[in-house]
Amino acid sequence: MPDGAQINTVTFTLNDEEVTVPEGFSIWEAANGQGLKIPHLCHKPAKGYKPDGNCRACMVEVEGERTLVASCIRPVSDGMVVKTESERARKSREMVVELLAADQPEVKHDAASHFWEMADLNGVTTSRFPKKAPDVVPLLDDSHVAMRVNLDACINCNLCVRACRDVQVNDVIGMSGRGATSKVTFDQDDPMGGSSCVACGECVQACPTGALMPATVLDENQAGDSKDFDREVKSVCPYCGVGCQIKFKVKDDKIKYVEGIDGPANEGRLCVKGRFGFDYIHHPHRITKPLIRREDAPPKGLNVDPGNWHTHFREATWDEALDFAAGGMAKLRSEKPTYVAGFGSAKCSNEEAYLFQKLIRQGFGHNNVDHCTRLCHASSVAALLENVGSGAVSATFNEIENADVAIAIGCNPLENHPVAATYFKQFTKRGGKLIVMDPRGHGLKRFASHMLQFKPGGDVSMLNAIMHTIVEEELYDRQYIQAFTEGWDNMKDHLEGFSPEKMAPICGIEAEVLRDVARTFAGANAAMIFWGMGVSQHIHGTDNARCLISLALMTGQVGRPGAGLHPLRGQNNVQGASDAGLIPMFLPDYQTVTDDGVRSAFTDVWGSEDFSGQKGLTVVEIMDAIHADDIRGMYILGENPAMSDPDSDHARAALAKLEHLVVQDIFLTETANYADVILPSSAWYEKSGTVTNTNRQVQMGRPVTPPPGDAKEDWWIEVELAKRLGLNWTYTHPREVFAEMKLNMASLDNITWERLEETAVTYPSLSPEDPGQPIVFMDGFPRADGRAKFTPASVVPPDETPDAEYPFVLITGRQLEHWHTGSMTRRSTVLDAVEPEANCSLHPRSLRDLGVEPGDYIRLSTRRGSVTVLARADRAVAEGNVFLPFAYVEAAANILTNPALDPYGKIPEFKFSAVRVERADSPVAAE
Amino acid sequence: MSPLDSQSGVWKKKGTGKSRKQPKGRQVDDQALEDVQNLLGDSPRRRDLLIEFLHLIQDRYRCLSAPHISALAHEMRLSQAEVYEVATFYAHFDVIAEDDAPPPMLTIRVCDSLSCELAGAEQLKAALEDGLDPSQVRVLRAPCMGRCDTAPVLEIGHNHIDHATPDKVITAMLSDDTHAHVPDYEGLDAYKSAGGYQKLLELRQGGDWEEVQETVLSSGLRGLGGAGFPSGKKWGFVRANTGTRYLAVNGDEGEPGTFKDRYYLERTPHLFLEGMLIAAWAVDAETAFIYLRDEYPAVREILLREIAALEDAGIVKPGYIDLRRGAGAYICGEESAMIESIEGKRGLPRHRPPFVAQVGIFDRPTLVHNIETLLWVARVVREGPEILSGVEKNGRKGLRSYSVSGRVQNPGVHLLPAGSTILDIIEACGGMLDGHAFKAYQPGGPSSGLLPASINDVPLDFDTLQPLGTFIGSAAVVILSDQDSAKEAALNMLRFFEDESCGQCTPCRAGCEKAVKLMQADEWDQDLLTDLCQVMSDASICGLGQAAPNPIRSMMTHFAGEI
Repeated sequence: MPDGAQINTVTFTLNDEEVTVPEGFSIWEAANGQGLKIPHLCHKPAKGYKPDGNCRACMVEVEGERTLVASCIRPVSDGMVVKTESERARKSREMVVELLAADQPEVKHDAASHFWEMADLNGVTTSRFPKKAPDVVPLLDDSHVAMRVNLDACINCNLCVRACRDVQVNDVIGMSGRGATSKVTFDQDDPMGGSSCVACGECVQACPTGALMPATVLDENQAGDSKDFDREVKSVCPYCGVGCQIKFKVKDDKIKYVEGIDGPANEGRLCVKGRFGFDYIHHPHRITKPLIRREDAPPKGLNVDPGNWHTHFREATWDEALDFAAGGMAKLRSEKPTYVAGFGSAKCSNEEAYLFQKLIRQGFGHNNVDHCTRLCHASSVAALLENVGSGAVSATFNEIENADVAIAIGCNPLENHPVAATYFKQFTKRGGKLIVMDPRGHGLKRFASHMLQFKPGGDVSMLNAIMHTIVEEELYDRQYIQAFTEGWDNMKDHLEGFSPEKMAPICGIEAEVLRDVARTFAGANAAMIFWGMGVSQHIHGTDNARCLISLALMTGQVGRPGAGLHPLRGQNNVQGASDAGLIPMFLPDYQTVTDDGVRSAFTDVWGSEDFSGQKGLTVVEIMDAIHADDIRGMYILGENPAMSDPDSDHARAALAKLEHLVVQDIFLTETANYADVILPSSAWYEKSGTVTNTNRQVQMGRPVTPPPGDAKEDWWIEVELAKRLGLNWTYTHPREVFAEMKLNMASLDNITWERLEETAVTYPSLSPEDPGQPIVFMDGFPRADGRAKFTPASVVPPDETPDAEYPFVLITGRQLEHWHTGSMTRRSTVLDAVEPEANCSLHPRSLRDLGVEPGDYIRLSTRRGSVTVLARADRAVAEGNVFLPFAYVEAAANILTNPALDPYGKIPEFKFSAVRVERADSPVAAE
Repeated sequence: MSPLDSQSGVWKKKGTGKSRKQPKGRQVDDQALEDVQNLLGDSPRRRDLLIEFLHLIQDRYRCLSAPHISALAHEMRLSQAEVYEVATFYAHFDVIAEDDAPPPMLTIRVCDSLSCELAGAEQLKAALEDGLDPSQVRVLRAPCMGRCDTAPVLEIGHNHIDHATPDKVITAMLSDDTHAHVPDYEGLDAYKSAGGYQKLLELRQGGDWEEVQETVLSSGLRGLGGAGFPSGKKWGFVRANTGTRYLAVNGDEGEPGTFKDRYYLERTPHLFLEGMLIAAWAVDAETAFIYLRDEYPAVREILLREIAALEDAGIVKPGYIDLRRGAGAYICGEESAMIESIEGKRGLPRHRPPFVAQVGIFDRPTLVHNIETLLWVARVVREGPEILSGVEKNGRKGLRSYSVSGRVQNPGVHLLPAGSTILDIIEACGGMLDGHAFKAYQPGGPSSGLLPASINDVPLDFDTLQPLGTFIGSAAVVILSDQDSAKEAALNMLRFFEDESCGQCTPCRAGCEKAVKLMQADEWDQDLLTDLCQVMSDASICGLGQAAPNPIRSMMTHFAGEI
């Protein structure tokens, strides 16, 4: 053991042989370790699944016991004498399977099911027992688009219940009724599709019989075979920052279905997007050939049907398209290098992110390169770099396992980081206290010890009041503060003015609650803080993050197991892309561009001239610069600013104004509507490369299927453009890029491409064998003197407050099924079917006041524009607020949002706009 | 609408008609939430009180509607699934979907366990179904109500009608006589004036629990719920564990044919309560839970009154005795299933080890005793161990409360020497009914199967029946005569187990269901049934499944001619 703890062992007799195993091993585990396969049905030897011992298919005989023993659930004890092959034991195992086989349906929902495999192992093919009365056998439930429920094959093994309750903690599945008529039910015996099921599919992965199957595996007769595939490929999920590892089952070069595998972040779990959201790669909208804007195309606008682009674009060869793309950029460069700016992508690999920033810096000599981190955690990163000296998480989210208190603020992990959320929910089931702070009473509320549903924008007042109490009641960690921080006295003085009583009306949380939270957090043995866009996407986003950092520092809740700061990263590779320097102020590893030595270290490796030492422009600033004619061409790789930038009309007008826009993507996105040339790239599942998740875990992505048509891997396109821009690039494989990155990225020390082909590695990794450090700042911070800093924050009101004309508060965000601008998820059959159209949510009382029925359409208007959208009634949303997801082009939330920026992180205030809400007529679907 | 919204780049359209109007799944209904909040009042929203809360709703609304279940889930911060599975596990909850009509105003439950079946329960039920308006009254079957000496029995509302007839039902309905009848019993004052609670108070003043345990052990008292574990030994096991400990009283007297606990509680409740408080003192229990079956509403009323009286008298702190109400599930008589139920869950027996003495209620060490056992604890402590150890018959020591029913003149609870044979018992009951000849008997509930009249010289005590493949259990003796079919009796028993199996493990869930089907054949597949019996006994998790094959085995051993 790494901590040197002694493992106690027990020795017992297994089929006449002495066997020694660690204490706590079950008989089944011990036997399995000896290569002995005891049949099992309800037992799933996987992380998170407790043995249940209910199926009785694994019975063994233990000397001296009256009855047989379920080997899966009985711990081995010293001197125990176990016989697995006694006549009694065999008979029980066989008959259990025979009893169950009697009621198996004629049609095998899964011809390769674990159940039939185990029946074979027992030599059972038929049953002598009469069947159940047909009227008690449940019928097909095909109400869910992603899964089929055929409970006629169910053996009541309870694995789906454990999957849903213990592992994912979604609590949708129960075992209702009693005895022979007990059955698996969703909510209150509702059809799966009408239940509160979030379609994580854990139950499908756990089911041993085929009673629960991915719909894609079954035919119209409900027959299927889970082993019917050509190959299995392991890769990483393309969606959020959790970085779940997935195994793909591929048949005829198409993904048939997937399973979660034991990655460090997900331990086999997936969410609906990871499990069922893969078929976007097979969507007919994929661009398969380079496209060049036609001479006779209509003026640029959001006017291209992505399924039928021929009116605007023509196909081209790669050579022509690359020459055209690079030529246009080179022409602008020759006029003025800063005429060309670039947006790279947080969705591509580390290598591709690195190449992208290198292409702008080396090819154009400036730093006007950014990506969507600007729109998510730029303010968090600014505060982290400022105060603890590193922009990444201080502890993995899995560390919550060692915590007893946690704060989740401004994040809705149930929808945005669903697999991370499973660990949070498990933490509360173990008795951990979860303090949820959010203007929305979202799904974590049910698990919270404290739910602080504060007023939008009230973060700093609330957090300062909590810290005020910690100071007032001297709950802070004096020793830690003395040893590891600076600026404490100043901070203490500052906090004096923020008593809970004074802050309560500002944040909307009662003073006593604020005090209780302060005591709870400060009284923790180990506590973590998780946050998301609700913290960062404000003009005071950096201040919000500063408060969280200060709170952790004053209580000494950093740098220990179960303690730490964790901004939940939104994109699969936003951590990696930021690490790789896809930021205007930083080169890889957050080394500042203003430092001559830093730049020369890179130009030495690149073999090129120095480039600008000035910090570049950020995402929103680049849009403004286009309007100001300072930027005239852009290279946009895998980003969709026409949807993701605030004040979309303004952003789209900027894109339309560009003289030369190169878009590299897998679909004709809203941004590609404005392109002069579109370079078709491979989807994540179609290429090799590494990604870094929110936990700092670097993982290998592998090609699962070939790209369609002539689509190419992004790194290849980048290299070809670079060559045409006169750069000396010779890369032939991402591993060469990775090797180059290591030269100037200490974070990648001890991490090699070869290692990553074998296993995920967390950075920092202290040796070639070290799997990586889940916790950093154990003995100080990467700042001067090793000390972290307290930076006081004052209350800054939102940029735009509600008034008589715009009386509601608009909060934008995401929904479980749709990911960011929807370009992938809305082209995934399952995800699109579950959430088919733009919607917003208001409190039922707000709707009543407006005279609007749930399901009716409303018009939302801000000072920037208006959209019409279906209204949902949702008690989670506070009265007077509107929640609007931004994934939907037909009611694009960012038409409404305020582009006002946080002065430090340069992040727009997506989370707060003043909005007017009115009834609207129902639109009629054109299709 | 923004000008850009109408352009062809907007590739997705509104007005699909397929988008939800609310978040996924059933949402909480405001009215239902208010109903639930009103019923719960200021009770703590603790998970372990879930079944109590379900009773509140069922009692008030005659059913558990889907909106009420989701409101209760919301109020308790549980998922709907967690509430629904508990609600549907217990027979006394009527779970109603949105589109279903609530049950009629009145429910009649007709007992169909063995003694009542022998006494014509089936005909009674049929007659009621024919004669009553189903929109006003529904007639359900139900398992043993613990009044087998007055079979056939039914419950109308919460009024139990002994020797039931359709006429009695009509009379009760017309006079709105649908509430439990509380019999006369010995109240606190009477009990105290006879010296009651003196011993308890003395012990609390400085008694030595080990001494008391020794006294109980020396009396030979064994667990009278049926397992027969020496009562004095349990205390030390529980006491050996540190931290919070609990006492749980098993008042889920569900083994068909058993009614002794009810008999005593309806007469001398304080004898039991003092015994319970002595045991609670002995293990220094934090709380004494009483899990009382829902079939005993009169006893519940008695206990509610008398616990309040004890609190008023300062003998127990308010809330120290936590009376919990079962909800119609035989399996909750299994001690670990009872503990699950006390925790507000389905009554699924737990795996052992660990034993409840180490890991019981809320995973804390828990002492579990049967009602009658505690009554004898009080008597042994008050009157001395000799009241049991001093009685000897046929080489057996002690006394046994036989619940006798079936074809005898005077069925009822008969306190006899533990060495009594079946003939002694029949004699104590005044002999067989006129015109009936003794044919067979169930010695200790259906779990014990059937013995033929020819085996008539065995003392019906713990341990003595083991060589015959059966046991005394709760001493629920049912006498069958030459007019009764052993095969039908065995089928009745297996049907009971099929209904009452919790469904957790395959051998019991599927085994009981398949056995009932196989037993309905004119000629039994004895080879298959023999194997099935062995596997059920060997591989079931708890005593229900392990003992359920006993009626089958006894048929094959003793009544082969009928199958």
